[in-house]
Amino acid sequence: MKTRALTVSLAVLAVLLLVAGACGSDEDAVAPEPPAAAPAAEPAPAPEPPAPASEPAPAPEPVAEPPAAPEPAAAPPPAAAGVPADAGRFVYASPFPWVDLDPSSAFSAEHLVLQNVYETLTRFNPPGSAELLSPGLATSWESNEDATFWTFNLRDGVTFHDGAPFNAEAVRASLQRTIDLGLGAAFIFLPVESMEVVDDLTINFRLLWPAPMDLVLSSTFAAYIMSPDSVTQDATWFNDGNGAGTGPYTIASLSPSENVILTAYEDYWGGWSDGQFSEVEMRLVEDPVLAEQLVRSGDADFTFNLPFDVYPALETDTDLSVVRGVSMTNLFGMLNNVRLSPEVREALVLSFPYEDVVNNLYGGEATRATGPIPRTIWGSLDDSNLPQTDLARAAATLEAAGVSDLTLTYSYDVGEVEQEQIGEVWKALLATIGVELVLEPLTWDARWAIAQGDPAEAQDIYTMFWYPSYVTPTDFLYSLYRSEELPFFGLSYYKNPEFDALLDTADATSGTDTDAAAEMFRQAQQILVDDDVAVFMLDVPAVSVIRSDIEGYVPNPAYANVVWFYDLRRS
Amino acid sequence: MDPSDRLPPPSRFGLRGLPRRRGLPGVAGGAGGDAGHPARRLGAPGSSVWYFRRSRLGMGAAGVALVFVVAAIFAPWLTPFADAGRGVPDLSVRLQGPDGTYWLGTDDLGRDMLARLLFGARTALIVAVGVVALSVVIGVTVGAVAGYFGRWVDEVLMRITDTFLAFPPLLLAVLVAAALGASLRNTVIAIAVSWWPWYARQVRAQVLSLQRRPYVRAVQAIGVPSHSIIVRHVLPNAMAPVWVQATADLGAAVLTAAGLSFVGLGPRPPTADWGVMIAEGRQYVLSGQWWIAGFAGIAIVVAAMSFNLIGDVVRDVTDPRTRGEG
Repeated sequence: MKTRALTVSLAVLAVLLLVAGACGSDEDAVAPEPPAAAPAAEPAPAPEPPAPASEPAPAPEPVAEPPAAPEPAAAPPPAAAGVPADAGRFVYASPFPWVDLDPSSAFSAEHLVLQNVYETLTRFNPPGSAELLSPGLATSWESNEDATFWTFNLRDGVTFHDGAPFNAEAVRASLQRTIDLGLGAAFIFLPVESMEVVDDLTINFRLLWPAPMDLVLSSTFAAYIMSPDSVTQDATWFNDGNGAGTGPYTIASLSPSENVILTAYEDYWGGWSDGQFSEVEMRLVEDPVLAEQLVRSGDADFTFNLPFDVYPALETDTDLSVVRGVSMTNLFGMLNNVRLSPEVREALVLSFPYEDVVNNLYGGEATRATGPIPRTIWGSLDDSNLPQTDLARAAATLEAAGVSDLTLTYSYDVGEVEQEQIGEVWKALLATIGVELVLEPLTWDARWAIAQGDPAEAQDIYTMFWYPSYVTPTDFLYSLYRSEELPFFGLSYYKNPEFDALLDTADATSGTDTDAAAEMFRQAQQILVDDDVAVFMLDVPAVSVIRSDIEGYVPNPAYANVVWFYDLRRS
Repeated sequence: MDPSDRLPPPSRFGLRGLPRRRGLPGVAGGAGGDAGHPARRLGAPGSSVWYFRRSRLGMGAAGVALVFVVAAIFAPWLTPFADAGRGVPDLSVRLQGPDGTYWLGTDDLGRDMLARLLFGARTALIVAVGVVALSVVIGVTVGAVAGYFGRWVDEVLMRITDTFLAFPPLLLAVLVAAALGASLRNTVIAIAVSWWPWYARQVRAQVLSLQRRPYVRAVQAIGVPSHSIIVRHVLPNAMAPVWVQATADLGAAVLTAAGLSFVGLGPRPPTADWGVMIAEGRQYVLSGQWWIAGFAGIAIVVAAMSFNLIGDVVRDVTDPRTRGEG
């Protein structure tokens, strides 16, 4: 009975499809990028302790103020020599790829890896800490009265992964490489006039204008120190998985579209003790549903950036902790200043469903953006002039400008559920005033490449998350809105000499007079708001998920989504 | 076995022969070489239609398919939530379970699932018909030309066809869809690109056997132009298995298109699409909102199965050896 056989096989096929869909099978046969399914080799799970309640969110408004006076002094942790007792492998599921692992130029999501391999002279503390900064490779530092001359005393007994000793010359050479390349976040060193190696463990920074150098050197990007040999290499070499830092982990293997394997560096200056992880897999998992399943099943220990609708269900799972922290990340839609007239940009800003999105999406955890800078960072605008959705005015603006039959493209990350939901809600609103919004979901690499091409041919609206390199208003304004010869992250393609000048002055002032600088930063932001260079959508809540048997994870908004694996233990 | 063997050889009946077997009613006979032959009444006893009507399975499947087609065509008038069907969100009623107002619940943007499914039927129907039509047009043209002219024409065309056949159809569709970019039109093109070779091979085999028949030789001898011979005399007799295949392929097209949409290669949001609904509904299944992916999955199963069953029954009733089994 051919008929019956066919019918049955078809039914089976159809049911399989249903099951695959309904159950969210990750191994769908047609997935173009099948995720690596190698189960993590994990020791038999220890008896589960009662799940600790998710970390209490730190006070909601610990605004990171600029440093008042640098006065750190902390003894280096006792260095316990030896090989770490094997706590097994920690699996970090990252929704974002690592595009460029060169520590000088990396400026996207590579910090998730690099922060564990390389170290910086200082580290910004999580909110609620007594001090603003912790010692890193520097143990103490001081500056002159007007913050134009800085001296850093370096940690003794530190070695690079390739065996070379860590010293002041290595610091100078690393930072000089970053400055010379001038890529990524190298702009944070613009104030640096020269570096002087005083002795093996002392380095001076002479600045062109006052700057909080201790804060600059805590940067998420560009401030990494690498070995003398690594300094002489190029980006290709780093992207092959090479590179020697001083961090607790080294890159054992690298497969850009799949994973990075990190192994413990035995001679790490901080020493090792029982219960730490000797191996870490950072796995690229772009599908949030798959990431959710991996942490649920224990095949991954940590992930973030899941759709916010799933967190309530995850909170009921005692094997998981949903961790909420302060966020310095915001989401905005950059408006193409080359393609869109001021009137169209104004209409777009007026048409965005701010309240709808904040109230209904992101599980109600997002906050309205006051402007280009998240409200948790000093120098941000206040709530007094929040943009309001006003479709009538938007329509009138378009009509007055004689614009009709407008079709605009909205470029967003495929798999970013909320960005798509936002796009669909916005599209429906724009349709009521005769504007057609075409949603263009693409992978980050693909859409970034398009956006860096000819602005006249690029997207109209480009959604982006931003988190600071070091905690300063400059970072947001400089990277995103300062005039660029060739577009990098300035995907509004905005050029305004007046804004540039004001920003530069504000930055130069921030080293000495914080209040005056903050005022100038606000003026600069107001220019951006008045020019409608972007739709400032919201400040993104910082939520991540970690297996509850993992101890030691403290979210740090200054280093978005970084997990320092060295701090972790499995109980 | 050459499928053309199922057809009574026209040579036996001559150029204006006795009733030729037909694939689907009114298709093969209409443009065929039997002009002037009194058309048999549709559904007369002994005809394929008559057998099809006697098949409960066939009629049941046809009924379901009809519901599907009607839903697709009249979607805006069948639901009070036509705007939601077109993609307009209402965030105040996100993720509501099935109830008296929203019979099948609402999705993550507060859109009525029933309305989304009805509009999704439109997408599915457009894709299914588009894919099959495009595949048949390309495949039949290539197959007929290759089979009729033979020699180097046949060699060239069939090697091209083989090249396409060398790829697994779904993989090829994914490749093409990824290269063209996600849109409804590109979904149709992507699937058709991977499917037309099957029609080309089928038609070529038919034409090869037909073009040596005396009745074709006869029209060639009269001096009828080649294109006219292909279109008027050869193809009508070669098409029966194509129509059977096409009917069954409608269901497969729905499935394949859903698969492409599922991996993000289908129409862009907010176009209602069953595959996209499953993909987007996946994340909600674990947290208890099963109705988004669940109902979309059921819709795909039902639509795909009904077309496939029709295809099966049509094949059976057009084949004397399996007649009446359905």
